[in-house]
Amino acid sequence: MSDSRHERMADVLVGFCADVREGDLVTLETTPLAAPMLSALYCRLLEAGAHPLPRISLEGMTESLLDHGNDEQLAWVNPAREDDIETVDVRIALEAPGNTRRLSNVDPARQARSDRSAERLRNRYLERAAAGELRWVLTAYPTQASAQDASMSLAEYEDFVYGAAFLDDPDPVARWREFGERLDRVEAFLATKRELRVVAEGTDLRLVTGGRTWIASKGRENFPDGEVFTGPVETSVEGEIRFTYPGVFNAREVDDVRLRFEAGEVVEATAARGQEFLREMIAMDDGARRVGEFAFGLNEGVQMFTRNTLFDEKIGGTIHLALGTAYPETGGLNRSALHWDLVCDLRSAGEVFADGELVYRDGKFLNGVG
Amino acid sequence: MSDPRYDRLAELVLDHSLRLQPGEVLRIEAAVVAAPLVLPLHREAIKRGAHAYAALDLDGLKELLVEHGSDDQLEFVSPIELREMDAIDASITIWSEENTRSFSQADTERRQRQLAAHRQVAIRRRDRIAQGEHRWCGTLSPTEAHAQDADMSLRDYEDFVFRACHVLDEDPVGHWRRVGELLQARAAELGSVRELHILGAGTDLTVLVEGRTWRAAHGRQNVPDGEVYTSPVETGVNGTIRFGLPAVFNGREIDDPRLRFEDGRVVAAEAAGGDAYLQSLLRLDEGANGVGEIAFGLNYEIDRFTRNILFDEKIGGTLHLALGMGFEDLGGRNRSALHLDLICDLRREGEVYADGELIWRNGSFLQDPQPARPVEHVR
Repeated sequence: MSDSRHERMADVLVGFCADVREGDLVTLETTPLAAPMLSALYCRLLEAGAHPLPRISLEGMTESLLDHGNDEQLAWVNPAREDDIETVDVRIALEAPGNTRRLSNVDPARQARSDRSAERLRNRYLERAAAGELRWVLTAYPTQASAQDASMSLAEYEDFVYGAAFLDDPDPVARWREFGERLDRVEAFLATKRELRVVAEGTDLRLVTGGRTWIASKGRENFPDGEVFTGPVETSVEGEIRFTYPGVFNAREVDDVRLRFEAGEVVEATAARGQEFLREMIAMDDGARRVGEFAFGLNEGVQMFTRNTLFDEKIGGTIHLALGTAYPETGGLNRSALHWDLVCDLRSAGEVFADGELVYRDGKFLNGVG
Repeated sequence: MSDPRYDRLAELVLDHSLRLQPGEVLRIEAAVVAAPLVLPLHREAIKRGAHAYAALDLDGLKELLVEHGSDDQLEFVSPIELREMDAIDASITIWSEENTRSFSQADTERRQRQLAAHRQVAIRRRDRIAQGEHRWCGTLSPTEAHAQDADMSLRDYEDFVFRACHVLDEDPVGHWRRVGELLQARAAELGSVRELHILGAGTDLTVLVEGRTWRAAHGRQNVPDGEVYTSPVETGVNGTIRFGLPAVFNGREIDDPRLRFEDGRVVAAEAAGGDAYLQSLLRLDEGANGVGEIAFGLNYEIDRFTRNILFDEKIGGTLHLALGMGFEDLGGRNRSALHLDLICDLRREGEVYADGELIWRNGSFLQDPQPARPVEHVR
């Protein structure tokens, strides 16, 4: 059965998110499970006069590498994929997992080694993106595996994904522009502040964002979208934070993560489950114990935790911080092979103070901001 | 459920065809429908210390390109892919398709332009193979589409494919090594022949092969394999030949083609089905009505026609002749964009004489190649 939302999604991704132009070289990263969406995107890209370059991966290949590869193989970076990053104008990544837990039993140290080798590619594309040479968008195609993670049927999950993307709206692009204006107001407000303090159950965290750039993320690089983020001053993060939702990274789940920061570095990390994995990830490199991103999730169309960062970090009424690498365009200087978003729900009994003034309570900005 | 025969096929391709070494870069090219073979190939290549990755295509996308693409898009060759060809030590092409007839309704001219543009990549690879900088092998992972073309269930077709590849043998690499010895001896022997005379139902053809090199195909560049072939002297083909088996080319079928040659050129051609298509192929360019190849198919596990040239040209007991492009390194001089393999079934009635001496009857050579070696016959 063909779902007309595939075509609508393809329209929005090509025409709005990635703003594809004639002659653009566009890589399309996905798995065979997204075949219907891949075909729809391929058609739209041809219509836009672009050159689509599918980069399809099979689940199972990463596992083989991590299970059987020697150090040299784990560290190998495919020159052809490096060439992609250097050459293409647009990169569209379409998550479509067949099994989100397939890497659960992989040795975390080997996983970390492999992640480190991919770091150069990641840094380079973020650099080209920051310089305006490459546009990219990360999005999701609903699969049974993702639905299972969200504790939904596939049909329910499809409604969730396309609902969060406003595809049920007669004019999704107009809706995204309107939402973008709201996010711009939050961005402008936060830009005037120097220090933030987040208070919630188990959480009392201070960080300095003055001098850094806040960015409203409104459907360009993530889709669906809806957050305002920055890279805090690396040495400024102080205090403790308890994350409401499990941290999910490389298909592993860590429950009830609590972090204590001193002078910007994690000095204590505990978890009810997966603590060892948490500590291995934080020990990955120097940057992994520092904060690369701090953000407010503002998409009211995303209400539920679904174990997928793309959605979870946008839940309206949450904040998240990421351990590891910062987005260069925020002014954030932290670099790491890690970028692990951890989400803290502020919808009940959460407060944020900006330069000593209460500006956000129970999941909403006060005084008409946002 | 994992089928160990796919693992064995992967091992054969890596260890015998490519002789993959640690540290080498291997590219596996396939459509996603070939996943059952892509995954073991990748895993086994990793186990052998190589840097392996897959370049995967989704069946149906090229069809969209041919239907909707602008001229620019149709003729676009990714500069990334061209550069990529220079960085890889070995590659595997898996020819598996989800639908072997998906281009049947496509605009032929637009399809040809798309194929022609993409030939740049193939030429780049061919040059590197010729310079010894690259090793390549083509093979197949069984799919429903190929089974359907062969009039079989997928299960039966898998049995057929794996039998033809000899991956169920105790020692598949050993088998293909022995086939190599046998076929190389056969090729050496044919190298001293001046003229072949082929007699069969509707066939009385003389083919001059003097001075040409015969080559044994024993699982290096194709799996399965099993043929000896050369390019005949371009002006030395005379008489008539009836092929008996349909020829399948770019998803189109030509039934029971018959050709008459004079001094190496086709002077009369007819086919019971697809005659107009045959005629159009013969007119493709100047070399299209000349002969580029003559070969004996010697894989006796391939005992039936399956509408797939990888297998059909190796059917044990057949002979095939290709119109069009010849093999330069074997002495062939015919040049064409065409290479149309036509298969002549000599299993029931057929004789081949080499310089007047009967060497082949009813589907097999009469004697083991000389000097005789203590080798196990293909069958």
